[in-house]
Amino acid sequence: MKLFTKITISLVATLALVSCSEDFLDVDSRENIEAIDSNENITPEQFLNGIYGMYTDYAYAFSWLGITEIISDNADKGSSPTDNGADKNLLDNLTFTSTATSVREMWTQWYKTIGRASYSIAFTETYGLQDEEYKDRLVGEAKFLRALTYFYLVRSFGDVTIQGDITIENKEAILDPESNLSSRNSKEEVYAYIEQDLLAAIEVLPTKSEYASKDLGRATKGAAQALLAKVYLYQQDYNQALEYANLVINSGQYGLEANYEDIWREYTENGTESIFEIQARGEVIAHGVQQYSQVQGARGPSGWGWGFNTPTENLVAAFDAEGDEIRKDATIIFAGETLWDGREVSPSVENPRYNEKAYSSANSGAADGDKNIRVIRYAEVLLIKAEAANELGQTSEALSALNQVRQRVELDDVVGLGQIELRQKIWNERRLELAFEHDRWFDLIRTGQAEQAMQANGKTYVNGKHELFPIPENQLIQTPQMTQNPGW
Amino acid sequence: MKTNLLALLLLFSGIQLFAQEKTISGTVISADDGLPLPGANVVIKNQSTGTTTDFDGNYEIEVAPEDVLTFSFIGFQTQEVKVGGQETIDVNLIADTESLSEIVLIGYGAAEKQDLTGAISSVKSDEILKQPALTATQAVQGKVAGVNIINSDSPGSTPTVTIRGLGTALGGRNPLYVVDGVPVTDIKNISPSNIESMDFLKDASSASIYGLRAANGVVIVTTKKGKKGKAKLSFNSYYGVKSLLNKVDMANASQYTQYYNEEETAIGSTSLLAPNQRYNTDWLDELTQLGAVSNNVFTISGGSENVDYFFSYDHYEEEGLLPNQKYRRSVITSNNAFKLFDDKLKVTQNLSITPTNENPKPLSSFNTAYRQAPVIPVYYENGLYGQSFYNQATGEATYMAQEGEAVGRLTDAGNPVAAVNFANEKISTLTLQGSVTAELELTDHLTFTSRIGMRKYYYNKRAFTPTKKSWIANDPTRTAEAFENNRTQFPDSPEWARNSLAFEKEETFKYNWDNFINYKRSFGQHNFDLTLGGSKEETGIGEKNTSSAYEVPEAEQYWSIKHAGDSYDKQTNQYYFTQVNYMSQFGRLQYNFDRTYYLTATLRRDGTSVFKSNKEYFDYFPSVGLGWTLSNESFLENSNFLNYLKLRGSYGELGNAKVPFNTTTIQTNAASGNQNYVFGPNQGLVFGASIGSPAQPLSWEVVQEWSAGFDYELLDNRLTGSFDWYDKTTTNTILEIQPLLNSPFAEKFYDHGAKVVNKGVEVGINWSDNISDDFSYNVGVTYNYNKNEITQVKNNYAGQTGGSLDNGQISKRLEEGQPLGSWWMYEADGVWQTQEEIDNNASLGGALPGHLKYKDQNEDGVIDERDKKYFGSYIPKYNFGINIAVNYKNFDFSVAGYGAGGNKVYNGLTGTRLGGENIPVEVFENRWTGAGSTNANPGANKDAYASSHYLEDGDYFRINNITFGYTLPEIKMVSKARVYVSAQNAFIFTKYSGFTPELNSDGNPYGTTGIELSAYPNTSTFLMGLNLEF
Repeated sequence: MKLFTKITISLVATLALVSCSEDFLDVDSRENIEAIDSNENITPEQFLNGIYGMYTDYAYAFSWLGITEIISDNADKGSSPTDNGADKNLLDNLTFTSTATSVREMWTQWYKTIGRASYSIAFTETYGLQDEEYKDRLVGEAKFLRALTYFYLVRSFGDVTIQGDITIENKEAILDPESNLSSRNSKEEVYAYIEQDLLAAIEVLPTKSEYASKDLGRATKGAAQALLAKVYLYQQDYNQALEYANLVINSGQYGLEANYEDIWREYTENGTESIFEIQARGEVIAHGVQQYSQVQGARGPSGWGWGFNTPTENLVAAFDAEGDEIRKDATIIFAGETLWDGREVSPSVENPRYNEKAYSSANSGAADGDKNIRVIRYAEVLLIKAEAANELGQTSEALSALNQVRQRVELDDVVGLGQIELRQKIWNERRLELAFEHDRWFDLIRTGQAEQAMQANGKTYVNGKHELFPIPENQLIQTPQMTQNPGW
Repeated sequence: MKTNLLALLLLFSGIQLFAQEKTISGTVISADDGLPLPGANVVIKNQSTGTTTDFDGNYEIEVAPEDVLTFSFIGFQTQEVKVGGQETIDVNLIADTESLSEIVLIGYGAAEKQDLTGAISSVKSDEILKQPALTATQAVQGKVAGVNIINSDSPGSTPTVTIRGLGTALGGRNPLYVVDGVPVTDIKNISPSNIESMDFLKDASSASIYGLRAANGVVIVTTKKGKKGKAKLSFNSYYGVKSLLNKVDMANASQYTQYYNEEETAIGSTSLLAPNQRYNTDWLDELTQLGAVSNNVFTISGGSENVDYFFSYDHYEEEGLLPNQKYRRSVITSNNAFKLFDDKLKVTQNLSITPTNENPKPLSSFNTAYRQAPVIPVYYENGLYGQSFYNQATGEATYMAQEGEAVGRLTDAGNPVAAVNFANEKISTLTLQGSVTAELELTDHLTFTSRIGMRKYYYNKRAFTPTKKSWIANDPTRTAEAFENNRTQFPDSPEWARNSLAFEKEETFKYNWDNFINYKRSFGQHNFDLTLGGSKEETGIGEKNTSSAYEVPEAEQYWSIKHAGDSYDKQTNQYYFTQVNYMSQFGRLQYNFDRTYYLTATLRRDGTSVFKSNKEYFDYFPSVGLGWTLSNESFLENSNFLNYLKLRGSYGELGNAKVPFNTTTIQTNAASGNQNYVFGPNQGLVFGASIGSPAQPLSWEVVQEWSAGFDYELLDNRLTGSFDWYDKTTTNTILEIQPLLNSPFAEKFYDHGAKVVNKGVEVGINWSDNISDDFSYNVGVTYNYNKNEITQVKNNYAGQTGGSLDNGQISKRLEEGQPLGSWWMYEADGVWQTQEEIDNNASLGGALPGHLKYKDQNEDGVIDERDKKYFGSYIPKYNFGINIAVNYKNFDFSVAGYGAGGNKVYNGLTGTRLGGENIPVEVFENRWTGAGSTNANPGANKDAYASSHYLEDGDYFRINNITFGYTLPEIKMVSKARVYVSAQNAFIFTKYSGFTPELNSDGNPYGTTGIELSAYPNTSTFLMGLNLEF
């Protein structure tokens, strides 16, 4: 029995202890790819695609509308009186606070986009790509997207945190130890950072026609130049704004669509007028800017959407004052009208007007629709040129650019205006040409027209406060050292 | 073994050892049912001579007339009989109701209850069966002190079980279940009728044998085995009807109309509803039906010398409150034991096969029915589904309009009846679970046990969406023709496909292999029991497959990917799960001196594959327990009042390794994730990637627990009970951290970030008495109080929010000094009476008269997040159960009640309106109607911010069960026949204004737990049942 016992005990000991090698516990990740294995499985281009993907999030379909258009004199909240879309009524009435969901969502969305861009740059540079030109292009695209996002941040919030670069050590992402996420960099520093990224992008990015067809929609040299022109315009550096606008205009890559309303058709996507747009696909596997068309679709019987972001009477009046029927019809869906694709909008839809530029014929109410969002197009570059040239006293340059835009929509040429009147004319032209293209609110602030314009729209704009959005309350709770913007 | 051998010698050798002895014989039977007891011990007192009864309960033994025979059998009271002149001694053994000698499972072994040093509560089969339920945990609510069970009445749902408070904010909140030696995450696949006992290992000293999976407590479930003796057949059956327990009265059409118009008027709108609407719909009535439940269990069990067998078939069927909402489960159980080589080797096999079948329906339809306006019909006269349209010019609730009349929507709520009708999902699962255990008796003191347990799980889901039909139903002005036009016009857009079909298949496998030796020996009054062993386990081995396609034929028989049309792409996806492995060695020493002074020491070395990033795999989990049976001391030994008193105390460490796989990962997505994008003239989808948040070095959560208590029996063992105190600290609770809003990383990541302390007491008291042979009764009470607190939070980690109300609002926040899952919101402070009042005080943007006024906590003249306040937690501070049972002659009667409270729950149904939704009558009647009307409740127009106004006391007391049974007098062939009627959840006493204060959701303290948004209402069940035994 003794022997037997001993055998058993050693048997148990063997079973229990010998098998306890750590190999048994070293299990591989099968569900998600571990960062450590990313070099074998993920290409730099995939991380780059991931930055573009950020612009297709729901934030751009709702919150973005709130802080660019609904807040302005172009648009009302729309929808049912009782459906406030979280805070859209407050944005519409300028009674929002630092807790506004839309403001917080965009702030967060932008910083996460920048994070993806910085990681993509670091990954691309350490991956070991042999094709230098290809590598530079990937970095250039990421820098363009990072600059675009910082531009959105700085014009919304003024001084903002610069996240700093990311380095990759032992396959782990390390954030720049110099950067401090609790503090804000000055507006000037942020603009300098944006310009640096854009200049670097311009150096390496191909022009639109140099890209392979399959890459249509990627950031181009022209896109970086056009954005830089706009960035300079916001800083009132008219010389540089004009210079970069001219580079785009003289590149031979772009032109105007013959018919204004065609700009929002599927067949002109990435067409001659397109400088940069967010790509969307409605076919299986559908991938669009999530619910962008649905949120703005007509509401009520036979409707297809939630009915938010509706054109104001003030905007209709602005079109009428200019006798601008073409752009009015292309921009606004009126209740009871028959759309270009034959769809009859019931006269009993809930709101009198809807945003036609967001309308997707094929995917009206789908979560993922085919509607590309036009970020910068050639007409805007012409208007940047017109504005910059006028400020520099180059009136004929200004008029020629402005009138190109007007001729397409069959409006009379502007002639013989002084600098001040012409400035107003150009600003008004921007409003009518670019209505619902997510620039109005920032144009109003940039040009100092906000108080007056908002008053005309029946809203109270507070000078010294509404120029900037409040830093989101949740950010301040996380980083209490961070300062709030004045007046909030 | 020695005695057995001796007995054999005595019986068969025929050698007369002592001249004066004579042979006597007899039968040992159970006094309960008159059946023979095979294997009962018959021993001569104060001698080592003895025998055991044979298969028919018969025995023979050589005795002297002056000897005293001791008859004993597990589960029965020992009887002594003086031999004297008798030749035949037949004995009726009486079942032992005394709880002290109950066998309690302690993990890799068993012990008598009186020998425990830890806190273990046991529930036996008959207690579980009293409350018919799908899962046994539902049935024991209120019966175990210190175990908080929150039920959901949704067909097929599992309750949330929390033992001694919640210590973790993440994944592993459930206790570990060990079913016949197989560690599993739930026991939904086990038939409650087949459960012999459930042992709740509550304190660290008991649970630490399960090391890093024991932090949330351990529940050992033992299924029934065959017992030696004749074959026993039993048949148990019940059928019941379910109805809504706590219906909320909603406003009718005219009340709604008035409310709606007030709301519109307040915001300056003139499109009002006309009085005298055509329809007056009670949406809840229209939506719900009576549910039904039935259960039939058939069992055969028995045993012979070498084989014990138990076989059972259990079929459970439930129809929910929603039309066609069904859940069906069958359980086939086969448990056998083989005793070989003179009982030296015992091989036990347990197997259960559990197929289920489910037709779920969207629970959000309860929410929609609550919100949909009563002026909208379920169907219009023309047969189309009603939708919330109204003609803004005429004020009629119709979608029809004349030229120039606008039609608006009253609310965003759809038609819940349509939603339920169009939902077409089928879920079937199959669970195969079993174990084989071999126990080898090496010597009288040494046993070696080896066990292999396995579980295989299949999950299969089919979802059919009739896109075209539901598109048309969503708007009565839509036509099939319009849909077809769109379909033709946009052939590539799947939103215009007539229907879609999606499959989801999952399968997982796990196994464990345990080996241990048990050495049990007494030296004089020193009793030792030593267990040593090891265990190895692989879990989560498996994969997931999904596939989908569009446009399958109308007939259900052709709903397969194969038959889908080719106008649209078919999609499939597959991936493997990341498995989790465990490896452990463990040892436990139980020592006692004269069954008076006890010491238990346990050590487990445990490892898991989860914490890969820091290569930290192993840790030690020690515990010590002490016990002192005071009633054995001379100063108490002769007390008439006190029969038993034992003090216990313990300290131990436990782990929780149930956290998500921790490594920095790359996110990719095969569908429309935001990593992907489209490029090119044809807008081809390109796949992208993004980096997750860098992984933090992470390891298991460690719980340190101090525990003390005492067990007592008083007044002839009629009053029994226990009291326990505990102080349990999770020293390094893992939190899911939201990165800073302006950090580059978006994914939440995990880190040790806080300490969570649970302190509490548990009381269990039971009084039982036999007044006469015909009349006995029993009253039991359990109570526990638990205080939960987060004591230390790492810098920057405080302020994690949760409790989404689905309208952009959050309602919970993590903060030091608060309980887990604490509410955090504005404090409602009356109602704005006039615009002037708003203008002169701090208010939230958009405030109007009639809106709630929020308190400016920091008095800075602005209402913002800084003015939000903590309001306690949804976790009940206390819960209690009352169980009463009375037996009179052939009648039995029992009542069980359960209550919980000290918590808050959020009525998200009334609190999260967008506008235009229906309201309960109570809200209608008490609303603000103008300056000076009331300062307590807001007007018809109000905001939807999370505020204390909608936070209500979660206290409730419910009569869980009232059962009245009658056992028929003896009938031929039938050994027992009982019929009963039972009312489950017949009454609830609560001040809460919603459907149910039991809002467990998924149990995540920072999820929707405690918020009523689309919870399944409480139901009450009236059932009739039958128990038959042959």
